[in-house]
Parts: sequence; structure tokens; C-alpha cells
Amino acid sequence: MLTGDTFARLCRAREILRDVQDQRVTLDAIAREAAMSPFHFIRQFRAVFGDTPHQFRIQARLDRAKYLLAVEHDSVTNVCMEVGFSSLGSFSDLFERRVGMRPSDYRRRARCLISVPGTVPPELFPGCLTLMERAFATFEKR
Amino acid sequence: MRIKLTSILVDDQDKALEFYTGVFGFVKKHDIPVGEYRWITVVSAEGPSDLELALEPNANPVGRTFQEGLFKQGIPATAFEVEDIEQEYKRLRMLGVVFTREPKRQGPVTVAVCADTCGNLIQLYEAPRN
Repeated sequence: MLTGDTFARLCRAREILRDVQDQRVTLDAIAREAAMSPFHFIRQFRAVFGDTPHQFRIQARLDRAKYLLAVEHDSVTNVCMEVGFSSLGSFSDLFERRVGMRPSDYRRRARCLISVPGTVPPELFPGCLTLMERAFATFEKR
Repeated sequence: MRIKLTSILVDDQDKALEFYTGVFGFVKKHDIPVGEYRWITVVSAEGPSDLELALEPNANPVGRTFQEGLFKQGIPATAFEVEDIEQEYKRLRMLGVVFTREPKRQGPVTVAVCADTCGNLIQLYEAPRN
């Protein structure tokens, strides 16, 4: 069983990992703050959140990048830097592998979908049950 | 008006489908691609077969804030009824599921809380026997 203390520390660690602007974060430092050995920390983190801290960090970066590309006006290079990648090439490759398109294409698509400036298009950031309607709409067409 | 569908936010739909079927033991009902995401629902093998749980991506920042906030406070996102909580607790522990609360009797029900590896705490409860 997870004690309340350990649970709180793991939640805190997740917040630190989610903050992609803080680029000095190291695994050892987070594990230390969580009062665990790095090995134990990785195991516990994965058991609770389903990803290793490293996988979680990469996903957090990509999520943030998607949001910035859709909503903000920074260049792709700036978005890449802001989410902590130093090479545009490796950022674009990873983005394409995970999201299925290049960052610039993602931005173009997002821009076409935004009807109210500053809002997030539900097609890219679904919430609520918007997916259900669209799922069955595509079903009909088949 | 009927209640036939409910949903839970998950941080990754692939991971969620794996956990909700492979670990919790639910059965996939729908899995329809919608752009980058999917409309995924599961049902319980123990029935009713027409009561669906949608595994909804928490891609929307508002949903994510809500989900992480609840989690951090230790509040379960939803609850599932089990036949025998002690047995279920043992079974899930063997599969590596982490519990934040061991089975504990609360009046007529026995309740336990575990992490679903998709950003939620789930309350499991054994209903009182008649």
C-alpha cells in the first residue's frame, strides 16, 4: 500500500516533471526530493502513473508543444526550445512519430480549426463527449 | 431517459484500453478512430452489457487540471462494484496495481482505492449482501 506521504511525493514529482520550462530537472534530483532511490522512484512512478518519469516527461513536452503550436504564435523553433528540445530535427522527428504529422503541419491544421482566437479547437483537444458525436458521424459514412 | 453511458478521463487511450481490459477485466465494446483520438468504450463482462464506460482522452487542458487536482487530493474519479473485495484486492496487487487505501469496512460497504495508471484513483467497493 502507498502511504499518504509517498503518494504526495509522487504527485509532487509529477508536477515537477510536467513543468517543461524548468530544464534543469534531473532524475536523481527528483528521486531525492521524493525521498526514494532512483530505482525505487522509477518503479513507484510507473506503477501509479503508468509511465516511467522519462516517458512522462517526453509526453509532457509534446503535449505542451501541441498546445503552443495550436494557440500561440511562436515559431516552430521557439516552441521546440521552449519545451526543452535543443535540436529542431529531433523534436520534429519525435513529434511526427507520436502525433502523426510534422509540427508545422499540425500548426496549419490547428489554425484551420480555430474559429474563436485564443480558444483550443475541440478536434485537437477533445473534452466532454465531443468524440462520440464525431465517432458515429464517421461510422455513418462507412 | 436512461443512464447507459458514463466516462472517465484518461491520459493515454492506448494505455487505458490495456489497463481497463487487461487488468480490470472489462471488455472492449467500441473503438472508433476520430482524428488523433478514438471513441473507446468498455463494458463489464459481469454485465449489464449495454452500460458503457467511455475512456475519454484528457487532452483538453481543462480536463487535465481537473483530473490532476482530484488525484492529488486523493479523491477517486469513479467507483466500481466488485463481488469480493478481498479477492479483487489480492488479484489486482498481483498484477502490480498500487492501492492508496486497503479494503476497509465503511458501514455496510467495504471500500478500497487504487490507481488506474491513467491519472485516476478508482474506488472499488463490495456492496452489502442481502
